[in-house]
Amino acid sequence: MYATLIISGLIARPVRTAVSVMAVALEVILILTIIGLANGITTETGRRTEGVGADIMFQAPNSSLLLALNNSSLPVALSNKLREIEGVKAVAPVQVQVNSSSGLEVIYGIAPDSFDQITGGFIWHSGRNFAASNEIVVDDLYAASKGLKPGDSLDILNHNFKIVGVVEHGKGARLYIPLKTAQEMAGTQNRASLFYIKLSDSHQLDQVVERMKTAFPEYRILPMKEYTTLMMSNYMSAFDAFIHVVVLVAVFIGVLVIFLSMYTTITERTREIGIFRSLGASTSFIVSLIFQETALVCVVGVALGVVSSFLIAHGVTFMFPTLQVMITPRWVVKASISALLSGLIGSLYPALRAAAQDPVEAFAYE
Amino acid sequence: MLQAINLRKTYKVGKVEVEALRGVNLKISEGEFVMVKGPSGCGKSTLLYILGAMARLTYGRALVCGQDIGSMTDRQLAQVRRRNIGFVFQKFNLLPTLAARDNIEVARRIHGASRGRNGHDLSEIAQLLNIEDKIDRKPSELSGGEQQRVAIARAVITRPSILLADEPTGNLDSLNSKIVLSMFKELNQKLRQTIVFVTHNPELVAYADRLIEMRDGLITCDTYL
Repeated sequence: MYATLIISGLIARPVRTAVSVMAVALEVILILTIIGLANGITTETGRRTEGVGADIMFQAPNSSLLLALNNSSLPVALSNKLREIEGVKAVAPVQVQVNSSSGLEVIYGIAPDSFDQITGGFIWHSGRNFAASNEIVVDDLYAASKGLKPGDSLDILNHNFKIVGVVEHGKGARLYIPLKTAQEMAGTQNRASLFYIKLSDSHQLDQVVERMKTAFPEYRILPMKEYTTLMMSNYMSAFDAFIHVVVLVAVFIGVLVIFLSMYTTITERTREIGIFRSLGASTSFIVSLIFQETALVCVVGVALGVVSSFLIAHGVTFMFPTLQVMITPRWVVKASISALLSGLIGSLYPALRAAAQDPVEAFAYE
Repeated sequence: MLQAINLRKTYKVGKVEVEALRGVNLKISEGEFVMVKGPSGCGKSTLLYILGAMARLTYGRALVCGQDIGSMTDRQLAQVRRRNIGFVFQKFNLLPTLAARDNIEVARRIHGASRGRNGHDLSEIAQLLNIEDKIDRKPSELSGGEQQRVAIARAVITRPSILLADEPTGNLDSLNSKIVLSMFKELNQKLRQTIVFVTHNPELVAYADRLIEMRDGLITCDTYL
C-alpha cells in the first residue's frame, strides 16, 4: 500500500519527480567527479614518481615536496660526490621544468645515460632518444592526448622542439628534454632540481641514507617511499579543504532542491494530506510517507548519479588521456550517504508541516 | 455515542470574530440515523467537524464514545478519528492517483486493521455498495455517484462506530442522491452504525430516524421521526 501510494504520487508529477531525481544525481556527480579528479591527479603523480625506480631522492635544503615548485639549486658536480658514498649505484640529476600553458605539464631535463641507470630505461613505443638540444621525448598518454608522433614539432616554454620518440608513461614526467637544454631554459647552468639515487642493494637503504645525511647534513634526503607518502599527504591536506567545500556545496544544493520540491508537493497535495488526516493518519504515518517518497527519489538519483559519474570518468579519460578520474568505492558510499541525508534533511520541514496540517483547512484549500 | 454540551465555536476571519456555534446541546445514541438540516452557514458542518474530532471547540464539551475530546492533543484526536469515526464528504475527497480499491485500502492501512479481523472484507463492502466492477478504476474514471460510493466504502471499511456525512449528496443528481441515501440507511440497519448526515435538502429527511434543524449556530428543532 505504501509503495502504491508513493509510486503513484511520483508518477502523477513526472516533471517534479524527474527534476528532483536529476538534482540528486547532480549532487552525486559533483562529489564523485571533482573528488575523483583530485584523487586521480594525486595518485597518478605519486605513481609516476615511484615509477622512476629510484631508492632515494636528494634535494636542496628547504625544497618543496612538489617538484614542480623547486628551483635549480643543486650543483650537478655534487652527483660525483654522492656516487662515492658506499652503497650508491647510480645518481641521476634532473632539472624539473613546468609548462602551464595548457594544463600543468611536468618536464624532466635528464641525461639519458644516468636516468636510464635509475629507471632501467624507457619502454619505447616509437622513435628514439633525443640526441640534439632541440629534441624531445614524450610519453604515450601525452602523445595520445595531443595526437603527436615522432617527427612532429612541439612548442614548449617558447622553445620549438622536435619529437623524436614516444615512451611508455610512468617515469616521473610526461616530457623529457636534454638536461643541458633544460638548464639553459631555466638559466641555471650546471645545476639540477634534484638527484634520483639508485642503490646497489635496496635492503641497505637505511644505512645509505644515514651515510648521506652525515655527509650532507643540510640537504633533504628522503627514501622514495617516504617521499611519496609525504607528497600524497601534502597534496591531500591541501585537497582536504577543497573536498570539504565541494561536499558541502553539493549537499547544500541537494538539501535546497529536495526542500523546494517537497515543499511544493506538500502545498500541491494539501487536500490529499487533509484526507489522510481526516482518516486519522498519525504524524508518523505522514512523515514516513514523505520520507519514503524522498528516499525513493534519492535512491534513483544516487543510482543515476553514480552511473553518470563513471560514464563521465571514462569520457574524461578518453578525451584527455593524461587526466585520471579515480572514483573509489569509499567515495561512492560517501556521496550516496550525503545525497540520502541531504534528501531527508530537505524533506524534514515539509514532512512535519504536512503532518501538522489542519484537515478542515486542508479541505478548504483549492 | 455523541454528546455536545453548551458547544461554542468562534472563527476569526481577519479581525472579525464569527460565532459558528453559539451553545449547542445534543445527545446522539448508538445506532441512530440523524439528519442535520439547515441553511448554508448555520453551523451544521462545524458541528459535524467538532463531533468528528477534526476541528477544535472554543467553549463547552464534546464527547465521542464517552471521551471528552475538548482537551485532547492532536495525536489523541487523530486516534479518535482513526478508531471511531468514518467521514463522507460532499466533494468525495478521493485520492486521484489511486484506484478505488487502493483508496479504500488506505483507510484500512491508516487504521492498522488486518483484513477480516477488525474491519470489513473489501469484496463484501464493494458488493454492499454495488461497486465490485469499478474497484480497479481511478476516481476520474467513475461517475459522481460511483465516487461517492467508493468514499462511503472507505469510510466504513474499518467498521467505525460513527459515520459522519457532510452533504454527501450535494454533488449528486436526485437519482444518485437516493441511491446513496438508501446505502446509508442499509449500513445503519445492517451494521448498527450511528450516522449523522448533514444536508440542506428537505427531500432526504424521510430516510432518517431523527431530524435536527439548525439556524444561526443554534439547534432550533430536534424531532424523532
